[in-house]
Amino acid sequence: MDIVFTAATVSYAGRVALHPLDLTLGERRIGVVGLNGSGKTTMARLVNGLVKPTAGTVTVGGLDTVKDAEAARGRTGFIFQNPQHQMILPILAEDIAFGLKNRGLDKAEIAGRTEAILARFGISHLARRRVHELSGGETQLGAIASVLVTGPDFLILDEPTNQLDLKNRALIERTVAGLPEQVLVITHDLALLDTFDRVLVFHEGRLAADGRPAEAIRAYREVAAC
Amino acid sequence: MLNGLDIEGSSPLHRMPVRGKLLLLFVAAIGLFLLSDLRLLAPALLLAALVYLSTGIGLAEAFRRTRFVLFTVLLVAAMNWLVHSPLEALAVFCRLSALVLLAAAVTATTGISAFMDEIARLIAPLERFGFARAADVSLAVGLVIRFVPEIFARYQDIADAHRARGLPVRPLTTLAPLIILTLKDADTIAMAIDARGFRRH
Repeated sequence: MDIVFTAATVSYAGRVALHPLDLTLGERRIGVVGLNGSGKTTMARLVNGLVKPTAGTVTVGGLDTVKDAEAARGRTGFIFQNPQHQMILPILAEDIAFGLKNRGLDKAEIAGRTEAILARFGISHLARRRVHELSGGETQLGAIASVLVTGPDFLILDEPTNQLDLKNRALIERTVAGLPEQVLVITHDLALLDTFDRVLVFHEGRLAADGRPAEAIRAYREVAAC
Repeated sequence: MLNGLDIEGSSPLHRMPVRGKLLLLFVAAIGLFLLSDLRLLAPALLLAALVYLSTGIGLAEAFRRTRFVLFTVLLVAAMNWLVHSPLEALAVFCRLSALVLLAAAVTATTGISAFMDEIARLIAPLERFGFARAADVSLAVGLVIRFVPEIFARYQDIADAHRARGLPVRPLTTLAPLIILTLKDADTIAMAIDARGFRRH
């Protein structure tokens, strides 16, 4: 599925957060790096329609994120920096099921799909656990499961290994690597991007570099050193 | 800290359907307001306390959860003492405290998800007339229940940060950051609700 940015621009109160961006993303693994405030989160939020472009367009599989907002959002999932904030219900299985319930599925299908997604991520044993009792890695896995259960084609993860210890970081790296869905990861964890297909570097609201991980990270180190 | 206000258990109240519990609470509230005889209200308070403790919550946690509301009830009773009579004050105290404990028992034995489902079902008739969106109302109620303990935990963090810096914990210096951080969290949570497609536009 292609994500297409066409002169997509975002401004807040006269300040440009993202300068006109023309870009097509079709790879399976896409990394986004940049200094704090460089525009990378704004760019990612455009994909999910959480941020609307002040000019230009963004399409997800041909669906405009403004005109076809609901349909476009249904094809993308978003994992926030603090996944606790997106867990609305306190029990993991209930939270996962809640996303399906809102789509009007019947009870049997909700239960089946919830069990299946828990099993897919190897966290069936956590089904009845309270989300605040989960470790950092378990919370990330739970959040990913709760988003993927609704079947998006494209998953965005905003700093998924932030504040995780080495063990949990490795767990999330393995999980992301194994996802069949298209994935866009915003991160400061450069090692995570080694196996990615494409890495975008943002700097001061503009796309500063775009290429294979090694060359893009080299470019990032140069702009970060300035 | 509890995340959500329900506690796990298998007490009769835990097993009772949500609608039954809400109905019983409604009937109890009407009954308590119809009673004015202290000889009936005092045993009613005792019974409400027993019902609450039968959920398996434990005395300390039961008190911790209800102390603020019970303190308010005490203030209301004190006002009645001044304006009316000691007997009237005692009756008010027994009536309101019994109601608080029964409501707390329902909260302690009802999962947020079940509670939200029931609210949505109860409001569904209003939706047909365009007065409210049942899913949105139940989501709002669920969010309040889900995040109240988080706000308390946040307050605790701010108070601890004060102590760590050797600062006195004052309402003015704790409430301002608490409100700002809560509003900031609320923005993120609202965004997450949109991102997960919980609200239909």
